[in-house]
Amino acid sequence: MGRAAMMCVVGAITLRLVITGEFGNFVQQHMQLPLTIAAVLLIFFGVVEVIGDLRDGRHDPESSRRAVAPTVGWLLGLPVLVLLSVAPAALGATAAERVDPIVPSEPASPEAFIEPIDSSDGPIQMPVYDFMSRALWDDGSDFSEVEVELEGLVVNSPEVDDGFLLTKFAVSCCAADGLPLQVMLHGLDSTYDNDQWVRVAVQWRPPDDGVVDTDDYVEADVIEIEVVDDPPDNPYETPF
Amino acid sequence: MHSHVRSRFAWGPTVIVIPTVAAALISGRVGWFTDEELRLWSTLFVSISLQALPFLVLGVVISGAIAAFVSPDLVQRIVPKRQLFAVPAAGAAGLALPGCECGSVPIAGRLISHGTPPAAALTFLLAAPAINPVVLVSTAVAFPNDRMMVVARFAASFLVAIAIGTWWARRNDVQMFKRLTDHQHDDPRPRWRQFVDVASHDLVHAGGYLIVGALAAATLQLVVPRSAIDVIADNELLAVLLLALLAVLLSICSEADAFVAAGLPQFSLTSRLVFLVVGPVIDIKLIAMHAGVFGRRFALVFAPVTFITAIVLAVVIGQVML
Repeated sequence: MGRAAMMCVVGAITLRLVITGEFGNFVQQHMQLPLTIAAVLLIFFGVVEVIGDLRDGRHDPESSRRAVAPTVGWLLGLPVLVLLSVAPAALGATAAERVDPIVPSEPASPEAFIEPIDSSDGPIQMPVYDFMSRALWDDGSDFSEVEVELEGLVVNSPEVDDGFLLTKFAVSCCAADGLPLQVMLHGLDSTYDNDQWVRVAVQWRPPDDGVVDTDDYVEADVIEIEVVDDPPDNPYETPF
Repeated sequence: MHSHVRSRFAWGPTVIVIPTVAAALISGRVGWFTDEELRLWSTLFVSISLQALPFLVLGVVISGAIAAFVSPDLVQRIVPKRQLFAVPAAGAAGLALPGCECGSVPIAGRLISHGTPPAAALTFLLAAPAINPVVLVSTAVAFPNDRMMVVARFAASFLVAIAIGTWWARRNDVQMFKRLTDHQHDDPRPRWRQFVDVASHDLVHAGGYLIVGALAAATLQLVVPRSAIDVIADNELLAVLLLALLAVLLSICSEADAFVAAGLPQFSLTSRLVFLVVGPVIDIKLIAMHAGVFGRRFALVFAPVTFITAIVLAVVIGQVML
């Protein structure tokens, strides 16, 4: 009976994560359907076990000696307890401070940037990865002229005093392998708290010496900044 | 083997834990802890667990179906009687019969007790959890940028299974498994009940060990100073040895281990391949299960030989392919 209850609880919390969309903090969006199916099956198994046990009642002499015991199975309740007690959030400043940020590598073909971009109709929305990629590797166009809209979270750093590191995590499997993508923003008067989501309109600031170096931060000047109250459903980028 | 398995889950913990969790579920978040590091740890822990869950459920559905709907006699009829023919055949059978390592130990025990050559059963024991479709798909999902990882894992694991099987066929030690007589008696319950029973048992069992692995991986990421990990990760020999040891200690289910390996990006692909090849064939929980099903003497011989074979073959394949 305990086993059945455990499966129902794990199934229920998984279903809850899917329904509230919180699962996006932990795994990629395409896990939605597999997680839903797994949750429903877990609940189904639990219910079938309970019904079977009730039907057998106490008349079954076998039931007393059925005992290959996965005591370790109780640990399945641990993620549930953690989810409820610690309330884990999406990766943020704490995670970003622990790891070196990554930069996009050079595209295999020069055609990657063949599509011209033009922001005369307003800023162009772009993932942080694409912005960094353009800044680092697009030799053809004058990218610094283009106005771009980026979304990410605030990570304050002593390396910048008139802005912060706009951060988004690149995830290849789940949040456990997330690595930060960071753009150094300049030209801000007010300060922002770590982990605050913001939407910014920026222009790329080329390095002073004109030489692009992947060991340095990609930098940008802020034209406009807007605080975003609700973090997006998918807080990560999956560029790989 | 799987019949009448019922966990020792009793009312004691149930009456305390379940209502607490249920109350928390209904009322929403409790949020006792706010420490940032702890929250990060829990994010990593839940991520690994959640990512692995659908694969675990798929695996136990299949293992439950096999236990309930495929008779051992049928499997035995397919496996050739001659040891040296049977070994590759059993390796190939591992491809078709998904299940994690905890499931394949009782299956291999059942095969031997039904007269299958031990070498073939052991090849199956090693191959099934490592190269079945579920494991290969989850490896591909976990390493989207390193497609060769799947091929390398398949090649190395298959070679380990064949090598150990051939070694055992040459040893031809029939005495070792004398104790394996058939204690099976037919399960009187309807098939769908057997199916749910086995699937639930495997899920709770393998799931528990998966959580152990997720705990260790998340903790390792946070507790071990990054500088120490970097030093080890930069030294290929140390990295291989550490991850081989970790695979044994963590005892992660083979359907989930790729996600743990993907969560250790500091380490080279070859050392992570070692982790993926060693884990499904030998680890703490498997040694315990081997001793229980095949006997202590067997476990003492089998564990070190398998461990070293797996490391060597994985390193060779890693150097060639990755």
